[in-house]
Amino acid sequence: METIIDFDTVSYTWPGGKGLQDVRLAVSGGDFVLVSGPSGSGKSTLLRLAARLEEPDSGTVRFAGVPLADLDPPKLRRRIGYIQQTPVVMEGSVRENLLLPYSFAVNREEVPPSDTVLQDWLNRVALARVGLDDVAAALSVGQKQRLCIIRSLLLRPELLLMDEPTSALDRESRHIVEQLTEELNREGMTIILVSHSDYRPQVAHVCVTVKDGRVAGGDGRMAMNDASAEVV
Amino acid sequence: MMGGAYIQISLWQLAIALVLVGVAGAASVLYELRLQKDLAIGTFRTFAQLFAMGYLLKIIFNLHSMLLVMGVYMVMTWFSVRIIKGRVKEKSIDYYAPTMVSVMVSYTLVTFIVTGIIIGAKPWWTPQYFIPIGGMVAGNSMNALAIGLERFFSELRNRKDQVEMMLCLGADFREASKEMFRNALKAGMIPSINSMMGVGIVSIPGMMTGQILAGADPADAVRYQIVVMLMIVAATALSSLIVLHLVRRRCFGPAMNLLLKN
Repeated sequence: METIIDFDTVSYTWPGGKGLQDVRLAVSGGDFVLVSGPSGSGKSTLLRLAARLEEPDSGTVRFAGVPLADLDPPKLRRRIGYIQQTPVVMEGSVRENLLLPYSFAVNREEVPPSDTVLQDWLNRVALARVGLDDVAAALSVGQKQRLCIIRSLLLRPELLLMDEPTSALDRESRHIVEQLTEELNREGMTIILVSHSDYRPQVAHVCVTVKDGRVAGGDGRMAMNDASAEVV
Repeated sequence: MMGGAYIQISLWQLAIALVLVGVAGAASVLYELRLQKDLAIGTFRTFAQLFAMGYLLKIIFNLHSMLLVMGVYMVMTWFSVRIIKGRVKEKSIDYYAPTMVSVMVSYTLVTFIVTGIIIGAKPWWTPQYFIPIGGMVAGNSMNALAIGLERFFSELRNRKDQVEMMLCLGADFREASKEMFRNALKAGMIPSINSMMGVGIVSIPGMMTGQILAGADPADAVRYQIVVMLMIVAATALSSLIVLHLVRRRCFGPAMNLLLKN
C-alpha cells in the first residue's frame, strides 16, 4: 500500500519550550497505528500536525505524497477525519449536527445523505434509539462521541485521526467506539489512534510510542528516528 | 436658532460649582472610601483639560486651517486606538494595525458624510462641525470596538474546540468563526442601538442639552441629536465590521489553524 501520511524529520516546539523533535513516521494506507505515551509527550500534537491544526517548525508532513503546505486546508481536512477527545456538538437536532459539514463551501458539491442513511449509521453505532430530530446537546457524552464519529465518516475520509476518543466515555460506549474503529480498519480505512489506556485493537496494528518529544516504534515499513518496532 | 442668548458662567460661579464635588468628597470622608485624592485629581484634570481644550479649539476655529483640523482629528483617533488597546486584554494577536485602519476609515467616512453632506458645512472640514462631530464618533465607536474585540477573542478562546471541530470538517476560517464573529459584532452594536431606545424618554442627550443651554431652538437641537444618534450607530457598525474582519484573519494562520494561544 502507498504511504498516506508521512512525517519527514518534523520538529515542533510548544509555547513552553519542549515539543516534538525530528519525527520520522510513514503510515501506509489501511494501517492501524496505535500511538501511546505519557501525558504531555506530544501524542496529540502528532495528530494536530497531520490535520494542519499546528504547523511544524521544521521538516515536512505529506499527505499522499504531497506536502500539506501545498494543499488547500479545507480540501485536505475533508479527506482526513479528526475525532477530538471531547465530543463537540452544536445546538440543534441530531440531523442538523450530522449534516453540518454539508453547509461548508468545500462540501457543497456533495449530496447530503438521506434520513435512511443517517439512521443506518445511528443503528451501526448502537444509537438506534436516538431519533434524528432529538436534541443533540441532550445526548450522553458517549452518544455524542459516536455522533461525532458518524459526522466525520459521512465525508468518507481516507484517514481517520482519533485523539483519545474513548477517554471520557463509559465502558459500554468505549467498547462500541473501539469495535467500530476496528471494523472501519477492516474495511480499509487508515486509522491513527492516540490512546492513553491499555487498549489493544483486535486487528493487526502498529504500536508507536511518543516519549520526550521523540517517536519510537513501528514496523519495517516505517522510518523512525529510533527504531524499536512492535508489530502486533 | 433662538438668537444664541445664554447666561455666561463667570469664574466665581465656576468656583461655586466646586461645592458640588465637595458633596462627593464629604461622602468619601464619612464612609472612609479613600476617594478624596482621586476626586481632587479628577477635579483638577477636568478643569485643566477642558480649559486647555477650550483655548485650543478657539485657536483652531480662528485659524480655520484644514491641515490643523486634520491634525487634531488624527490625534483624537490615535488616542481612541490607544484607549481601545488598553481595554482589550489579548496578547497573542496583534490587533493594533487593524484597529487603526478601522478607526481611520469609519470615523473619517461617517464624519465626512455628516458634516459635508447632511449638515452641509462649507467647507466640509469646518472646525466647529468637524471636530466635535469627529470627537463624538470616536468616543462612541471606541467603546463598541473595545467590546467587540474583547468578545471576539474570548469567544474564540472559549470555543476553540468548536472552531477546530468545524475546521476539521472542511470549514474555512470564516465558516468556523461565523458565530463568534456575529456575537462580537452584535455585542459592539447593541449599546448604541439601546441608547436610541431610551433617548428623549430616559435622558436628554448631552449634545442637545448643550445646544439648548447655548440658546438654540429645541427643535433644531433635536434634529442635530437625531443625526448624532444615527451617525453613532453607523460608525459603531462600520468600525466593528472592519476591525473584526481584519482581526479574524489574523487569528488564523495560513493553514487556517487557530493561532490564539491560551
